[in-house]
Amino acid sequence: MSASEPARKIVGPGWWPGVAAIALAAVYVIALLAAEKQNLIIALLAIGIVAVIGASRFGLLAPVTHSFAWHENGMAFAALVSAVVVAGYFHDEHFVLLLVVTVLLMTVATLGLNIQFGYAGVLNFAGASFFGIGAYTSAVLNGTGFPSILVPLVGGVASALVGCMLLLPVLRTRGHYAAVVTIAFALLFKTFLEVNDVLGGPQGLQVKGMTFLGWSFNDNVDIGPVTFSFYWSYFIVSLALLALAFALVRRLERSWIGLNLDALRLDETAAACFGLSTTRWKITAFLIGNVLIGVAGALFGMVGGFVGPNNYSFADSLILVSILLLGGIGNPWGLIVGTFIVIVVPEKLQTIQEYRFLLFALLVIGVLLFRPEGLLPRTVRRYFPGVRT
Amino acid sequence: MKKSAILAAVGIAALLLAGAAEAKDKVKVGFIGPLTGGVSANGLGGRNSADLAVRLRNADPKAKYEYELIVLDDECKPNVAVQVATKMAAEKDIVAAATHYCSATAIATVDTYHKFGFPVIVWGAVLPDITYRNNYAEVHRVNGTMINQNDANAELISSLGYKTVAVIHDTTDYGKGHNEYFSKSLEKIGKAKIVGTFGVTADQQDFTTELTKIKALNPDVIYFGGLTPIGVRIRSQMDKLGIKAVFDGTSGIVSDSYIQGLGPLAEGTLAFREGAPTEKLPGGKFFMEKYNEQKYENPPEAYGAFAFAAMNMILDAIEKVGPDRKKVIDELANVKDRDSIVGKITFDDHGQNTVPVITKYVVQDGKFVEWADSEYASGKRKLPGQK
Amino acid sequence: MPGIRPGMTVELLTPMNAALLAQYVMNGLMLGMMYGLVAVGFTLFFGVLDVIKFSHGDVLTVGAFTALATFAGVNAMGLASPWLALLLMLVIATLAMAFLGMLIARFLVMPLRSAPALNTLLITLMLGTVLRECVRLFYPQGANPKPFPALLPRGSIDIGAFNLRFDNVMMLAAGALVIVGLQLLLNRTKLGLAIRAVAQDEETARTMGINFTAIVLITFAIGSGLAAFAGVMNGLYYNEVNFGIGLYLGVIGFSAAIIGGLGSIYGAILGGFLFAGLQIIGTVLLPLASAYKDVFAFAVVIALMAWRPTGLIREKISERV
Repeated sequence: MSASEPARKIVGPGWWPGVAAIALAAVYVIALLAAEKQNLIIALLAIGIVAVIGASRFGLLAPVTHSFAWHENGMAFAALVSAVVVAGYFHDEHFVLLLVVTVLLMTVATLGLNIQFGYAGVLNFAGASFFGIGAYTSAVLNGTGFPSILVPLVGGVASALVGCMLLLPVLRTRGHYAAVVTIAFALLFKTFLEVNDVLGGPQGLQVKGMTFLGWSFNDNVDIGPVTFSFYWSYFIVSLALLALAFALVRRLERSWIGLNLDALRLDETAAACFGLSTTRWKITAFLIGNVLIGVAGALFGMVGGFVGPNNYSFADSLILVSILLLGGIGNPWGLIVGTFIVIVVPEKLQTIQEYRFLLFALLVIGVLLFRPEGLLPRTVRRYFPGVRT
Repeated sequence: MKKSAILAAVGIAALLLAGAAEAKDKVKVGFIGPLTGGVSANGLGGRNSADLAVRLRNADPKAKYEYELIVLDDECKPNVAVQVATKMAAEKDIVAAATHYCSATAIATVDTYHKFGFPVIVWGAVLPDITYRNNYAEVHRVNGTMINQNDANAELISSLGYKTVAVIHDTTDYGKGHNEYFSKSLEKIGKAKIVGTFGVTADQQDFTTELTKIKALNPDVIYFGGLTPIGVRIRSQMDKLGIKAVFDGTSGIVSDSYIQGLGPLAEGTLAFREGAPTEKLPGGKFFMEKYNEQKYENPPEAYGAFAFAAMNMILDAIEKVGPDRKKVIDELANVKDRDSIVGKITFDDHGQNTVPVITKYVVQDGKFVEWADSEYASGKRKLPGQK
Repeated sequence: MPGIRPGMTVELLTPMNAALLAQYVMNGLMLGMMYGLVAVGFTLFFGVLDVIKFSHGDVLTVGAFTALATFAGVNAMGLASPWLALLLMLVIATLAMAFLGMLIARFLVMPLRSAPALNTLLITLMLGTVLRECVRLFYPQGANPKPFPALLPRGSIDIGAFNLRFDNVMMLAAGALVIVGLQLLLNRTKLGLAIRAVAQDEETARTMGINFTAIVLITFAIGSGLAAFAGVMNGLYYNEVNFGIGLYLGVIGFSAAIIGGLGSIYGAILGGFLFAGLQIIGTVLLPLASAYKDVFAFAVVIALMAWRPTGLIREKISERV
């Protein structure tokens, strides 16, 4: 086969199953977020689980997967539109929008973790710490006259810089020993923040909202008779960030960089034998991942308005790793689903708020025992010359 | 498959509509306190007291609205507090709330309440900054600040003839506040001096290193600015290292859990609190009677009465101006000599009430006894190093 | 400098006299012993199954709470003797945790042997969370710190200005005995021989007729029993248990085992004392607040990993390529 051959025609149901699935998901999300009564929420969750299992039994999921695989750009666009619709429905509900923004930003952070762990196989148990570095950067910089639209970038850079401190131990260790390095760092970071008064100590710091060209993000927006909660401004920025991050991760995966990372993860020794510089690729993955995590953290700091050491502990890093496991290591779409489940469900089910960590941990144990690939496992790489995906 | 999907969609829509069309006339008020964790006894006591206020009001036929109490747990952690504060303030149905026992959480959330324009009355946190750092119309407080209790503390220590004090405080704003005000008071009196100051984290386990250093300094008194969980640990480890100084605490350790945690070791601990003991408050008897009628699992603890008073004030305001946040804020700005079970309440220009009475406690035979009534004051028993 | 505030008295180098030094050494020995016991558990599990059982620290917590519950039961029955109570607590906690360890091995660790090692790490991390949350949620008022009875004799003698407590000495002696006992078990008995064989080479050990599953279960039982012992010791030392001690001790024990080199019992003990030493040095020598001791200790751990990626007492790694 040569590249001069005409592109093969893709046969299949096309867009529609995917778009239908996204639309249905959007309606479901709106229903779930709007529901207040516990019984209703439990009923909705049960319906959701049954629907998904039923759909896979009846073979309805195959065409959906097909659309996602072959028309990904279209699907991404549809997802963006549906996100805006969902947020539009809740245009003046502060807390729901806050949840949505949280999901978006956490997904960006897990995308970063995905590059490190899902693609390159670099263990990072300190994800929440790098998230915290970004958040503290925005706490320190915002309000000092530095253009706050650039603060997330600085947050990402700061994260990467601190990550550089860990490079040597991360590169030299393998397996369990590598795990220790990032775990020790996660604990070190939280303790450091707690004892250090310069960064607010255990009391944390208040973060000023984002301002762009004189307009403060912390004010409600009124367009005609309709009031939009002030979280809407953050929503737009977060959605843009997620779209960018998603596109970045996808492109990265499909490029030769992604290929190198995959080779590195699958068998380090063989990769080294083929001439891949393991050092270089591990560093690349680690730093790029940290930048993404840092950017998300910085933005989240501004949204929440508060940063404190207790937010970025080892337990929070574990939550990020479990989202990765739950959603499917290496699959960005799985991450969106995983983050949504992990963040929204405990918030809505007030009765299980106390039991949140326990149920999480049990869920992850279940996933690890019975479905280690996660909910949406990563698809096999496809190569068809001449076909653009 | 398609039919059932349509049915399901219709069903969901119907349920949503039904939910939206429910009857009004219910008003939601909120309560935030530490319901889990080391200081949960205080949080639960406060919650029960607020709940009592709501129940009594609902049982009153003259009340205009039916009240529902929404309770959230701040776990005595600033970050959790900000999350639950955001959640409560973002929900437009909740009109106002009685908030926070831990100062660390109360100071972290004032900006959140201000952001959402949500009126709150603090019922247990003593850090002055909570009402005085900013001039937020939303934030009020019925209990006193730590300045007065530390004045009384320094005075008692100096009058008992002690010369050297070592200070241990937790590194949250609460502990730092205690350290600041106690040091200032002690310096002003000038009879005793501080030989060492040690900051510890609020969840620290092991204090042997700090206490070893303190042992070398050999102070007469160890002043502790912090809450019960680490207070218990420090006192216990003091004994293990053979340090025979007086353990002098603040309102943070005035709790049954302190005595339960230490048993006989608690004997001779000093503590101070603003406000008279619950039984001696103007409305104390009434409060205790009604509280015991409800048969709650936990006692009201030191600040239960204040939580009751705070919630009552909120309910009074809503009765007067209706369930509107802005109107409630305006109404609470004009509180002068309002009667309540803790005495007359007046909010100054920063929303702070003045509580002039300071109660001095010493632990005697497993109970917090007022200093003046104790055998230590009369000379029958002696504190370590007391002349 | 962070941590220093105006008006605070700072001792740059505490005037060191013999009594103070002795006190620091004593503190270090106690901490080191506890860390070491936890580290030995990690190393045992790693040696036998090549797994890091991260829930070890939380097994310690459950063990301590089991002992507490036993004490409550003993009290309710009216037994007066503290020695008997202590003995009962130790026996019941150790046996219960040994059983728990076997369950964990059988149902969570062994099924995942063919999966990447990371999965086992994660599943044990999550199991640790489950154990911790169960204690917090289901033990009556588990979220609060709970006083642990002081069952050892409370006397002490004063050597100059240094106060030597009998209970500390007894705990140190007991810990040392346990470790020596473990060494004897591993080096002088047939069971120990079997364990070492399995640790060295699983396949060959099986061909030699050693019952692999039984050995694994026994090793996990031993390790978890050690954790229970450490938990009771911790409770006696601080006169308190709370649901979070396991996480902290687990991570330190893990770091200690790593520093000492996984798979080596001596390394684990060495690592435990080293970590305790680092914490004490950090508090004494650094002019910063003593809360920095953990930052210092963990930073040193990271630096050590960079210098010697497989620990101080090197593990011989050979990988099939």
